[in-house]
Amino acid sequence: MNITRRDLLKTSIATAGGLMLPSVMRKAWAGEPGSDSSTVVLIRNRNLFAGDKPDPAVCRQMLDEALCRLTDKENAGQAWKSIVSADDTVGVKTNAWNKFPTPAVMEEILKEKVLATGVKEENFSINDRGVLNDPVFRRATALINIRPMRTHAWSGVGTLIKNYIMFSPKPSSYHDDSCAGLAALYDLPEVKGKTRLHILVMFTPQFHHTAPTQFSEEFTWRYNGLLLGFDPVAVDATGLKILESKRNEYFGEHRPLNPPAKHISAADTRFHLGNADPSKIHLIKLGWDETSYV
Amino acid sequence: MPTSIIGLLMMCSTIPSQHPVEQLPERFQSYRVSEPLNHTPDNLYEYINGAAEMYLSYGLAGMRGYRYTAENQPDVTIEIYEMTESRNAFGVYTQSRDRDEHAYGQGSLSYPEATLFWKDRYFIVISSSRATPESSAAIRFLAETADKAIPQEGKIPGIVGLLPAKGLADGGMLYFHHYIWLNAYFFIADFDLLNINEQTDAVLAKYGSPDRRTYLLLVEYPHEDATTAAYRRFMQRYAPEADNGKAVRLEDRTWFIGWHNGNRLGAIFNSPSEDDAEELFRAVISKM
Repeated sequence: MNITRRDLLKTSIATAGGLMLPSVMRKAWAGEPGSDSSTVVLIRNRNLFAGDKPDPAVCRQMLDEALCRLTDKENAGQAWKSIVSADDTVGVKTNAWNKFPTPAVMEEILKEKVLATGVKEENFSINDRGVLNDPVFRRATALINIRPMRTHAWSGVGTLIKNYIMFSPKPSSYHDDSCAGLAALYDLPEVKGKTRLHILVMFTPQFHHTAPTQFSEEFTWRYNGLLLGFDPVAVDATGLKILESKRNEYFGEHRPLNPPAKHISAADTRFHLGNADPSKIHLIKLGWDETSYV
Repeated sequence: MPTSIIGLLMMCSTIPSQHPVEQLPERFQSYRVSEPLNHTPDNLYEYINGAAEMYLSYGLAGMRGYRYTAENQPDVTIEIYEMTESRNAFGVYTQSRDRDEHAYGQGSLSYPEATLFWKDRYFIVISSSRATPESSAAIRFLAETADKAIPQEGKIPGIVGLLPAKGLADGGMLYFHHYIWLNAYFFIADFDLLNINEQTDAVLAKYGSPDRRTYLLLVEYPHEDATTAAYRRFMQRYAPEADNGKAVRLEDRTWFIGWHNGNRLGAIFNSPSEDDAEELFRAVISKM
C-alpha cells in the first residue's frame, strides 16, 4: 500500500495515542466498493476456568451458544447440522505449537459435535503439520479452522488466516513482507471454498513475546473468550483489536505489534478474502462483558 | 621467542573457537539430552516456521542446541543462534528484550519459563513450556554453562553510541538493518521508506515518559551519496515542508525533525514540544 504515518495524519486517522488499524486505510485510500458486512460472535464466561484448566462443560456451552447465534438456529443440534452434514468428510485444522496449542478440550468437543451430526469417524480428522499427508484432509469436503491467538515474530500475530500455512507444501514461500500475502492460502485447492467455521480461541491470548520461540504466562491473560465467524478476516481483525488494546493497557502506552499484522488488512484490501474494516464487522457479544476491549 | 612457539601461537590464532554447544553436558541435574538441534538458515523454518525470518533478517549463520527431558518435568530447550556478526546477535537481543538485565552474557532477560542473552556473535534462548523449580534450575544452569563457553565479547555497533543517554527509556532501543523493523515502536511507514538494508546500520530509540513519548531514528549509510538519496526520498514523502534540521509541527500537533549529516540520517518523531525536539536534536548532533 506504501503508506506513511504522515499520510495518515493528513487524513486524521492517526492520533497521538496510536494508529487506527491498517484496515481502515481502505476507506481513505482504496475507495473500493465494499462487500457485505461479516458477523463475528464473541462469547465470554467469567467461570470458564476450573482451577488452571478450562471447564469442558463451560467450553461446550460457550461453543454451542455462539454457534446458535452465528447460524441463527434455535438449538445446538440444528446449528451444527447447518454447517456440517452427515456425508461430509471433515478436517479440523488445529494448531499444535507445543508451548501454546489449541486447547485439547476444544478439539475433543469439536469431534463430539461433528460426529453427532452423523459424520462417520473415519471421515473425521484433527491435524496441523500433517494435513497434506492426512488421507481425511486430502478428501475433505469441509474444514473447521481453530487456533489460539498469539503474537508472532514475523507475521505480527498468529491468526486463523495464518493457520492454513500448513496446507502449503512450501510455507516459507508466504513469508515475504512479513507474511503480507498469507490470504493467498485460501486459494489453494485443498482449502478453497471448504471452510465451514472459524474459531479463534481467546481463553488466554498471548499479547506479547520476546524471542520468537519464547512463551511466558506473564504475557497471557484470562480473557475467557471464543470468537466465531464465517469470515476469517473479520474474526482475526476483532481478535487483533483485543490484543492491541491489552498491549496498550499492559505497557501503559501505545505499543504496536512488531512487525505489524499486515496480513490481516491485506487479506481484505489486496485479496478480498473478507472484511477487516470494523465498520463492516457486525459483532455480537454474549456473556461476560467486563474488559472485553471491543 | 623460539620460532616453534611463534608458529604455535599463529596456529592458535587461526583455529576457530569451539561452538558453545559442544561444552553443554549430555546430563545434568535430572535432565538428559533427548534431541540435538541443528539447523541452517535454509531449514530453520522446519523448526520454527515463519519465526525464522526474524533471525534471517539479521544474518543467521546457523542454530544448534539441545532439547533436554526429565521425568515428570517440562522439557527444557537451549537454542544457540550463531549470527554472521556480533552486531547481529546484539540486534536480535534488542529485538527480543524489553528491559535489560545483566545476569548472563552481554545483556540478558529472564522469565520463570525462559532466559535469553547475547554474547559475541551468539544469541541464546533457553526455555521450557512451563515453569517448575526443577526446570527453572535447569535453565539457570544452562545459561551459566553457555555463558562460560563463549570466551569473547562482541562489539556493540557504533551508531548505538550516538544515542543521548538523557531520557532514553529502559530497554527502549532497537538496532536493525532490515526495513521491516522500522515500525517496532511507532508506525512510520509500511514500506522501505528509508532504503534500509544490510549495508546500513539503523537504531530506533524511545525517549521520555510513556505519555510524552518521543522516538529517535538514526541510520548510517555506506556513503554520503546514499544518505542524501535516502534523505530526499524520505523528506519528500514524509515532510516536504521541512528544512534540514528544522522542527516542523505536524497535523497531530507533535513536532518532527529530519536531517542528514555526512553519511548519517536522523529523524525525531512525535515530540510533544518544539523545545523538546530541538533539545534532543542538539544532543544527537553533539555526539555525531
